[in-house]
Amino acid sequence: MASNKKYWRSVEELKSDNSLVEHLGQKEFLEEIPTETFLGAKENLSNSSTSRRDFLKYVGFTTVAASLAACEGPVLKTIPYVVKPENIIPGVANFYASSMSDGDGFANILVKVREGRPIKIEPNKMAGNWGASSARVQASVLSLYDNNRLRGPLADGKETDWSSLDKKAIDTLNTLKANNEKIVVLSGSTASPTSKKVIAEFAQSFGNVQHVVYDALSESPALDAFETMYGQRALPNYKFENAKLIVSIGADFLGDWQGGQYSAAYAKGRIPVKGNMSKHLQIESNLSLSGANADLRIPVKPSEQIFALINLYNAVTGSNFASKPTPADAAIKKIAIQLKKAGSQAVVITGIQNKEAQILANALNEALQSEVYDLTAPRLIKAGNDVAVKNLVDEMAAGKIGALLIYNANPSYSLPNASVFNEALKKVKFLVCFSMSDDETAQKSQFVAATPHYLESWGDTQFQAAKFGLMQPTINPLFNTRQFEESLLTWMGQNKTYYQALRDYWTTSILNGSSWNQALHDGVFNGNNELKLTKNSIDVATSAAALLSQTKSGDFELNLYAKISMGDGKQANNPWLQELPDPITRTSWDNYITISAADAKKLGLENFNVSNGALNGSKVNLKVKEVVLNEVPVYIQPGQANGSIGLALGYGRSAGMQTEMMTGLNAFALLQDFNPFQTVSVEKVAGIHEFACVQLQHTIMGRDEIIKETTLDDFINKPKNEWNKTPEFSLNHEEVSAERVDLWEKFDDTVGPHFNLSIDLATCTGCAACIVACHAENNVPVVGKREIRVSRDMHWLRIDRYYTSDMTNEKAKEEGIFGTGEMFNTMTIPSENPQVAFQPVMCQHCNHAPCETVCPVAATSHSRQGQNHMAYNRCIGTRYCANNCPYKVRRFNWFKYANNNEFDFNMNNDLGKMVLNPDVVVRSRGVMEKCTMCLQKTQLSILTAKKEGRPVKDEEFQTACSSACPTGAMVFGDVNDKQSEVALITEDERAFHLLAEVGTKPNVFYHLKVRNTEAS
Amino acid sequence: MKSVIKHSLFNKLTTLSFALIFLINIGVSAQNGDPVKGKELFNANCAACHKLDAKLIGPALANVADRRSNKWLKAWIKDNNALRATGDADAKAIFEEFNGMPMMTFPQLSEKDIDDLIAYTSVKPQEAVASTTAAAVDPRVAEGKQLFQANCAACHKLEAKLIGPALAHVADRRSKEWLHAWIKDNNALRATGDADAKAIFEQFNGMPMMAFPQLSTDDIDKIIAYTSYDEPKAVVAPLNAEASNIAKPKTSTTWMSVIIGLVLLSFIVWIYLKSNNGFLKIVATIFLLFGVAYAGFAALFEVGIDTDYQPIQPIQFSHKIHAGDNKIDCQYCHSSAKHSKTSGIPSLNVCMNCHKSIAEYNGPVTSDKDKAFYDGEIQKIYDAIGWDKANLVYKANYEQVPVKWVLVHNLADFAYFNHSQHVTVAGITCQTCHGPVQEMEEVKQFTKLTMGWCITCHKTTEVKLEGNGYYNAIHDQLSKKYGIQKVTEAQMGGLECGKCHY
Repeated sequence: MASNKKYWRSVEELKSDNSLVEHLGQKEFLEEIPTETFLGAKENLSNSSTSRRDFLKYVGFTTVAASLAACEGPVLKTIPYVVKPENIIPGVANFYASSMSDGDGFANILVKVREGRPIKIEPNKMAGNWGASSARVQASVLSLYDNNRLRGPLADGKETDWSSLDKKAIDTLNTLKANNEKIVVLSGSTASPTSKKVIAEFAQSFGNVQHVVYDALSESPALDAFETMYGQRALPNYKFENAKLIVSIGADFLGDWQGGQYSAAYAKGRIPVKGNMSKHLQIESNLSLSGANADLRIPVKPSEQIFALINLYNAVTGSNFASKPTPADAAIKKIAIQLKKAGSQAVVITGIQNKEAQILANALNEALQSEVYDLTAPRLIKAGNDVAVKNLVDEMAAGKIGALLIYNANPSYSLPNASVFNEALKKVKFLVCFSMSDDETAQKSQFVAATPHYLESWGDTQFQAAKFGLMQPTINPLFNTRQFEESLLTWMGQNKTYYQALRDYWTTSILNGSSWNQALHDGVFNGNNELKLTKNSIDVATSAAALLSQTKSGDFELNLYAKISMGDGKQANNPWLQELPDPITRTSWDNYITISAADAKKLGLENFNVSNGALNGSKVNLKVKEVVLNEVPVYIQPGQANGSIGLALGYGRSAGMQTEMMTGLNAFALLQDFNPFQTVSVEKVAGIHEFACVQLQHTIMGRDEIIKETTLDDFINKPKNEWNKTPEFSLNHEEVSAERVDLWEKFDDTVGPHFNLSIDLATCTGCAACIVACHAENNVPVVGKREIRVSRDMHWLRIDRYYTSDMTNEKAKEEGIFGTGEMFNTMTIPSENPQVAFQPVMCQHCNHAPCETVCPVAATSHSRQGQNHMAYNRCIGTRYCANNCPYKVRRFNWFKYANNNEFDFNMNNDLGKMVLNPDVVVRSRGVMEKCTMCLQKTQLSILTAKKEGRPVKDEEFQTACSSACPTGAMVFGDVNDKQSEVALITEDERAFHLLAEVGTKPNVFYHLKVRNTEAS
Repeated sequence: MKSVIKHSLFNKLTTLSFALIFLINIGVSAQNGDPVKGKELFNANCAACHKLDAKLIGPALANVADRRSNKWLKAWIKDNNALRATGDADAKAIFEEFNGMPMMTFPQLSEKDIDDLIAYTSVKPQEAVASTTAAAVDPRVAEGKQLFQANCAACHKLEAKLIGPALAHVADRRSKEWLHAWIKDNNALRATGDADAKAIFEQFNGMPMMAFPQLSTDDIDKIIAYTSYDEPKAVVAPLNAEASNIAKPKTSTTWMSVIIGLVLLSFIVWIYLKSNNGFLKIVATIFLLFGVAYAGFAALFEVGIDTDYQPIQPIQFSHKIHAGDNKIDCQYCHSSAKHSKTSGIPSLNVCMNCHKSIAEYNGPVTSDKDKAFYDGEIQKIYDAIGWDKANLVYKANYEQVPVKWVLVHNLADFAYFNHSQHVTVAGITCQTCHGPVQEMEEVKQFTKLTMGWCITCHKTTEVKLEGNGYYNAIHDQLSKKYGIQKVTEAQMGGLECGKCHY
């Protein structure tokens, strides 16, 4: 039975003789307070120069001194505006619709602004799936207050002013124009129609101008394939909500694949309403977020992904293209049958960065007549062109480029041949880098034009032909910056602002008579523009043959990928993202290679936990062709395909940022020919790397059946008691549900609102947007790698990642190996390809909270609204509550994290502190903190309703996490309002409470995960 | 307690030592009446029939103690009928003077209360002086004033340029006939080609004045009479006289306590040094220990409490003049109180709504704060925002500086307080927590702002369930389930930690 599976979070837990895990099972803190060392040695004590009397004197003196010092109250100033802006009421937040579109995150958003400061990003519900937020979108508000941002334009590394930069630029550009020398605008994807138009006008006014679009995480092959097939440079749109069967070959579509933003649509099809749930199969090398969510995952090497694609094409269409066998062939045969059965409701996608592979996948979808594969509204978000970039570098090296304007790209860091590029830069006569920070490219540029953050900018987006969005400034520019487009307008002599250009363009070409103010208010606008596709005939056989010939196999094959936190490294100076644990490896502040356990054994690589629970690992040198990356840490990853190695891009930034954030290694050098698949040689080197990994932390006292799941088959066909049994206790010699057994009197919570939070494990993809949203909303501090290593992370919300296999205690008993090493070994074997489950855990707000009863000062107490309160100013830091919490969700402030040079993150500089939520206290050292269920938000909703004299509407009650959740897996609301969404799902058959047998009666409940693994 | 430093260590230590002395002093009361208390009592009990400086239903009571003895007054006030029954001549005379209308009896007033009342009546009322001066004025001037305020004051002032020119003694500059024509229809006058009319029109950038055909020639003459009349400068005795009178008895009580405390203390010292009585020593020791402990705790509990904190502000803004004398609503300036958690210190543009046209202070003044002082304070607004009061325009390219007010009510950061919850939802008046701000020349902290203070109010204040749609469902549930019609804030969960601490 599925619910009797054994779960584990670390391979360490599977080793039968691991004393560490046993120890952690019993104790939260691995190291004892070292009292013995200073109290144990009697002779030391007696020889001490400080006598007991002296000690007492010191204590007395310091107490008195401290008390007397506290007598002086602070004199504070309160400074009003000179002229208060009409729409600002101090203490009341305004929301503005805007859009983020920096090539690494595409979303239509709402920006919460307090007293003129943006402090939080919220999804724009009007934008549908494009309004969903991700971890990077949520974190982008902190990048606005990045202390390492450029304060103004630079010339040869020295401060300059705009007028002299303009004069120089206009003179030079006109000279170049007169000599008909080539001017190139190199920009990252922005999906902005007006920006494109301004560049086109710039090109017109200076003649020989080329616009090259460059994305560090490029989708160029998919764009090329689409262009060949349909005549337009765009990406197909996928309507995963309509899919019955999703087959992904190496496409991490819940992560960054083709610009991301597919999780909302995917989740819609994953809600296991009886008999109506999509099935998701993933063939891949690294264990990606998508693979972790798949119903069936087949690990293969990168080259085998390509063979698998051809084999799948053959099996579905009956073609007979040349290919090679893969370990997945048996499964592929079955998949092909399922695909044909699902027909138009099936879709095949691939993340293989090869034009021919993309053609093959598109052709396969056409063959299936897939309705998920949507050609009516292709995506225009990523536009990078690898070939054009390669040509540009060649031309630069040949001295053919007169001027190069670089915007929204950092090629000196992210180009695979960055060294060649950097040399070639020297041959460019006029080089301007438009950048927010003095990054790698800016440092090599003659001129740096400081650009504003997107929250200070005007702009627009066109994610799909008819899906427009607007970007508007939500704060006055913090520094002496100017938008890229405005610089171009100035240089071509157009005497207008970018705002005017934007508004003009929208009025003439987009709005079609609709109101500009309405569009700006909504942030999104549905136009009637269309992208005309012309269907070209293609020869799939040629593509398949070309694909096969281009594929190289090796003993070890590298699969480069991007993390949901770091992306392409644009926001590497953002401490929230650095500290965000990777959903799969649960490791932060690092990149590393992921390797399978078998390969690691072969190479003598190891991971081990040291006495305080922190993870250490070996190091290797990686060599791709001639490029060597030295001393790369090794992380042994269950589910990693044997013979494959994963490595994250976006790390190893080294310029324009704080030293603390310069983490990891730059793997872009290995992305040769922009191909993430590379054959690689691995060589073990001496040395140990220290990881900041949280996977062994917050143990649950050995109660490892904390998560529940079932199969779709059981879910449909069997009674609830078989797959979601509530624990039973004996009461009056009768077995009754644990929910009914109660030591305590019931709390009367029927009057007024009573809050519950529901989390659906079936639709939670583990994307971590909620964690960052919680950071922003609740002023959760960043503690840094060193503290994470010693289990002192402060995240109020963690997403536990569980691995599981088919070996159970029952099965072991049947086979007669129960309790033997063999059983544990059998358990270890499936860890080569474990199933994965995510479970967000925050304070469960128990109605009978164990933490409350042990607090000696009643600092934590229950409320009739269901929230478990924590009065920080009352807390004296005994940590009894954390010890008594069965869910391990309480966090202790071991240090003062604000205004402390030891924690030099955003709370240690005036700029970074602007992001703090003024309605939430910044906690001090020595107090316990935890999730409050966003008390400040619920209180505000209630107060607003009271002021307006009406009941609260259901959708008004939100927590930061439920609001940020792109898939709608988190639902928050008032269960006393019987019509509320959350009240309606409390009685759902899938609902369960964490550790119901403990009897804590939590106000957070879960819906168990359902895997669609029924036989085909 | 007016200081830049909030509560100095010295203050705490003095409190600590004085608290002990006060403790010893309990029960010792001063003989002098307290005029402040007396004023309260007067307003509550006497003001319905008496005024200080004039006869109302009963006689004027200012300095009544000069006319009657203290003992007589006590007897009279407590029960004047009884006094009359004793055959007291004075009592009878008064009875007859007021046509046999007996005064109410006040048995509830104690002797101390009456002392306080007498102390209050013995203070010379000052307002009377000011009110007498304005009386002997030509009635045409008074009528002219009314007409001026109804028709002209929107654009003209007497002494200064507003939208139109200053009009004081305008008759000296123009002839009466010209003024008649101009005021009735200045456009017509200009059309005749009158040079003066044209000049004025140009001087004010071609902005024409309104026509006033409805004003009769006589009306205009009245207005001219008003503009030509010099109001005598009101000589007003310092208001502070009252305040300083009040302060004296207080200090004397303090010193009395000190002296008595010292006497007791020396008595205890004497017991220790000279007395052979062991029991007395023990009693003295216990007394001393308890006294010290009580005083110590009392002092420690005062740490961080800043009642009466009255910092020196960058502009000596008088709430008394604004909210008291001119009755400006609190929320006109503190406009975010009804929307937001903060009440909002008004920004300077709010000040300028009125102070564009009010450049000088013409209200009652005191000896230490004369007109020049208040005008100087108004000038500070202009300096901050860059207002040219001569030309009535904002100065171009002026570097504005915000006013750095000193925060008076400093609630700890870990306590969340929302003004709108209390002002808009609960409908609590500002004075409930901030005291009689309309009487405060400079604002001071009125309440303790301690958690105990919050909770006491939450425990006793009933939630206004009626008329608020939010509470309808809650009200139904409460009445159905518990039969409760009324709940206090505390019963609604207003004592839960997390409601204020997050």
